[in-house]
Amino acid sequence: MSERVLAAGGGGVQVGEHPTWHVWGLTINADTVISTALAAVIVVGIGLYLAAKASSGVPSKLQVAFEAVTDQVERQVQSNVGIRTAPFVVPLAVTLFFFILISNWLAILPHAWEQRVGPPTADVNLTFALAFFVIILVHVTGIRVNGKHYFKHFTQPYAAMLPLNIIEELSKPITLALRLFGNILAGGVMVSVLALLPAAVSWLPTSAWKLFDLFIGLLQALIFALLTIIYFGFAVGDQEDAQEEGAR
Amino acid sequence: MSSYNLAAQGGGNIFLIPNATFFVELAIFLIVLGVIWRYVVPPVKRMMNERQEMIRQQIQESQQASERLAQAEARYSEALAQARVEAAKIRESARADAQQIRDELREQAEQEVARIRERGEEQLATQREQVVRELRGELGTLAVTLAERIIGDSVADEGRRAGTVDRFLDELQGMAAPDSAPQEDSAPQEDKAPQSSSAPQEDSAAEAVSVSPGRRRR
Repeated sequence: MSERVLAAGGGGVQVGEHPTWHVWGLTINADTVISTALAAVIVVGIGLYLAAKASSGVPSKLQVAFEAVTDQVERQVQSNVGIRTAPFVVPLAVTLFFFILISNWLAILPHAWEQRVGPPTADVNLTFALAFFVIILVHVTGIRVNGKHYFKHFTQPYAAMLPLNIIEELSKPITLALRLFGNILAGGVMVSVLALLPAAVSWLPTSAWKLFDLFIGLLQALIFALLTIIYFGFAVGDQEDAQEEGAR
Repeated sequence: MSSYNLAAQGGGNIFLIPNATFFVELAIFLIVLGVIWRYVVPPVKRMMNERQEMIRQQIQESQQASERLAQAEARYSEALAQARVEAAKIRESARADAQQIRDELREQAEQEVARIRERGEEQLATQREQVVRELRGELGTLAVTLAERIIGDSVADEGRRAGTVDRFLDELQGMAAPDSAPQEDSAPQEDKAPQSSSAPQEDSAAEAVSVSPGRRRR
């Protein structure tokens, strides 16, 4: 039924359609790049403003928010990874959280601008970029911290589990990327669907949905950052087990 | 179903496959990460640590302050207790002083009383002495006069008269001496003295009279 509605909408709902640039034979999604750049500028701008204004005295509300996130991330990293083992996880997770949060929240921009700016996380290109970057860093950290022992965990608890473990490791970045992408894309599709309603009616569900979308955006940013920390924890946690085994 | 829609409109674009945008996105994210990592997180973390340090210090200071307060309170109550003890001591000593002063005053007063009484007795004794001396002078002549009047004869013989008077006075003295030993009954003694002195006086007079007939008989 929705198919008919979509079809009848005269191309009202387009999924995965992007205006593209072609550079050196490569296809680049123009709207995603613009949106990402916008999100990046916002995040960097807020961050630099914060760093310039930061004080050890009474903090601004922005600083309090940033500190709350940093504090929480530090706590998570401490309990999952150990700050000393991988101190760079803290700024990474903080950056991921804020960058994804701002990217997701670009969804509040008017639907009519969709062709130019929207949430860039609704494009797999950004989410895959983030997820692969994170996973590669996770494996690099695991190898650097554990050395050869790192590969042992692929055969845990039994050697027969090797294929499953490999699949699990491969699925990590994909699930990480697609979870974020799917949630944000769905939010945009929902708005597109609501936009097919007459304008006199559509404003109410659209407003309500966009508010909910903000919540989803926050949640997904949180999940992405948290999973990043947890993956680092897995990679590094094996090292402790290995060392314990070695000690025995 | 949506893929059908997409296929119809987008020309077979499978949007789950990333394209070259991936690298642009990655680059943008790395820039953001670099900036946040290098320029934002460290100062904010430093501020957080400073604030934590500050708060820790403040907590410490407030603990110290409360400790000092408790100490001051302890000192205060101690001083209060000491002051109470001292006050009690002072009160006690004041009471003792008062008792002592009272005792002293009482003793003094008693001494005074004793002294006054003594002096009064002395005075009394002197007076009695005087009275006796006067009596000694007068009684002789009086007795002689009386005797002369009674016997009608002059007892002018100096030797006999003096003997009689002396005997009488000795008797008088002998009667008065035991009475004067208890000092408290000085007033009754004074009352008694004239009586006792007057009785022997009459007796002696009677004796003298009774003697006289004997002498007259002779």
